[in-house]
Amino acid sequence: MPATGSNSAAAVWTILRKECRSEWRTRYGLNAALLFAVASLTAVSFAAGRLSDRTDLLAALFWIVLLFATLASMSHAFVREVEGRTMLLMRLVASPTEIATGKLCFNLLFLLVVEAVTVPLFLVLTGAPPVRWGTFLAVLGLGTISLAASSTLVGAVIAQTRGRGALFAGVSLPLLLPVLAAAVAGTRDMWASNPVASSVRLLAAYAVALLSASLLLYDHLWED
Amino acid sequence: MNHNYVVLGVSLLVWGLLFAWILRVEARVRELEKR
Amino acid sequence: MVLRVLLFLWIAVTMVIALLRAPLVPVLEETTRVLYFHIPAAWLTVVALGWSMINSVIYLVRRDLRADDHAAAAAELGLLFCIGATVSGALWAKAMWGAYWNWDPRETSIFFVLLIYTAYLALRGSIEGEEKRARLSAIYSVAAFVAVPFLIFVVPRMYATLHPDPIINDRGKVDMDPMIRWCFLSMLVGFTGLYVWLQSLRVRVSRLERAAHAA
Repeated sequence: MPATGSNSAAAVWTILRKECRSEWRTRYGLNAALLFAVASLTAVSFAAGRLSDRTDLLAALFWIVLLFATLASMSHAFVREVEGRTMLLMRLVASPTEIATGKLCFNLLFLLVVEAVTVPLFLVLTGAPPVRWGTFLAVLGLGTISLAASSTLVGAVIAQTRGRGALFAGVSLPLLLPVLAAAVAGTRDMWASNPVASSVRLLAAYAVALLSASLLLYDHLWED
Repeated sequence: MNHNYVVLGVSLLVWGLLFAWILRVEARVRELEKR
Repeated sequence: MVLRVLLFLWIAVTMVIALLRAPLVPVLEETTRVLYFHIPAAWLTVVALGWSMINSVIYLVRRDLRADDHAAAAAELGLLFCIGATVSGALWAKAMWGAYWNWDPRETSIFFVLLIYTAYLALRGSIEGEEKRARLSAIYSVAAFVAVPFLIFVVPRMYATLHPDPIINDRGKVDMDPMIRWCFLSMLVGFTGLYVWLQSLRVRVSRLERAAHAA
């Protein structure tokens, strides 16, 4: 039962560990996500060829690949509960907010793992120019946080509907467009050696706004 | 000047038809509400 | 009945004056007339969106299905006006600037609103059960509410700075002529009245549907 702060943190940590363990047991989701990310990256790179001098296109394609990878892999997080009927059990030991936050942390971790593989591959396959790592990682990190936050909230909603992947993508898109715009701008500016402060600020502001709204909304996700 | 009259005519016609249709819908709603 | 006839005459008369008497805007010339439809339609999509989102919050707080009726009705009507605004805008853009779509800041904003409406309605369509549908779509509505200021104000500015649009829509100049301004404001009022009427009708239909289901 939800209680004090430390209990909440413990509950979230438990959920996170449980998610990791479930995922690691089958690794189906991770494998599928990695496969999809690499496949879309290959398609993009193959079709476009070397884009060393077109950093504007590179930035756009980079984030589109990440966006697609997110949309393809994030919809299943809550579906597992519905299909495994473990949701009721989880709700006995944790509050909706704790469950969702745990899932959020897991989704974030998941995306980071996918990115760890996809990003270097992207940079190599497309012949991207050298990266300003500090700036690049800042934009990537903040963008990923928003991707995870949005996917967790939308995933929880969609899991309770008749819709699946396509609906998840369609419903997520309006929430992810600000991320896409700011992240692409930031990545492009990074390569052009322009200041990225405004994009980073935007990404941070949006992540905060989305996370705050999510925390308020998680409680309403499941009712009986 | 010709264009204007045509556009005006079409607009008024469309508006008139729309208005009439909404009135009909409302009449039917009212009828269903009475039951 | 008086009110309805008044609404009809209000809009009809405004149309007559706008098309026959009001002058044309120098830059826009013949395309001036589109603004009497396009801007009120865009205004209403935003009003409807706002009303829908407010009612979503009210539903989450009070769990009153009447609020959900309003949220859903506003979304449907808002979508219609949004399509009207987007299409009229694209036609206007084609006439003015030669291309239907430019990702100009305003075009971008209205398109985003279109996406939000369709996502919301698609979501509603996939859920069975009144309370569940109301609750989940309300959650989404609030989440979208977070995205809206970013989508409408911030993102379009970012695009504008990176793809400088040489044909910025200088909307400010349009309303300078008093006659045009009055016709346009009058149309705005008329459209708003139309929306209020349609909204109440749609909500009444929802209630009838619910009563029919319960029976």
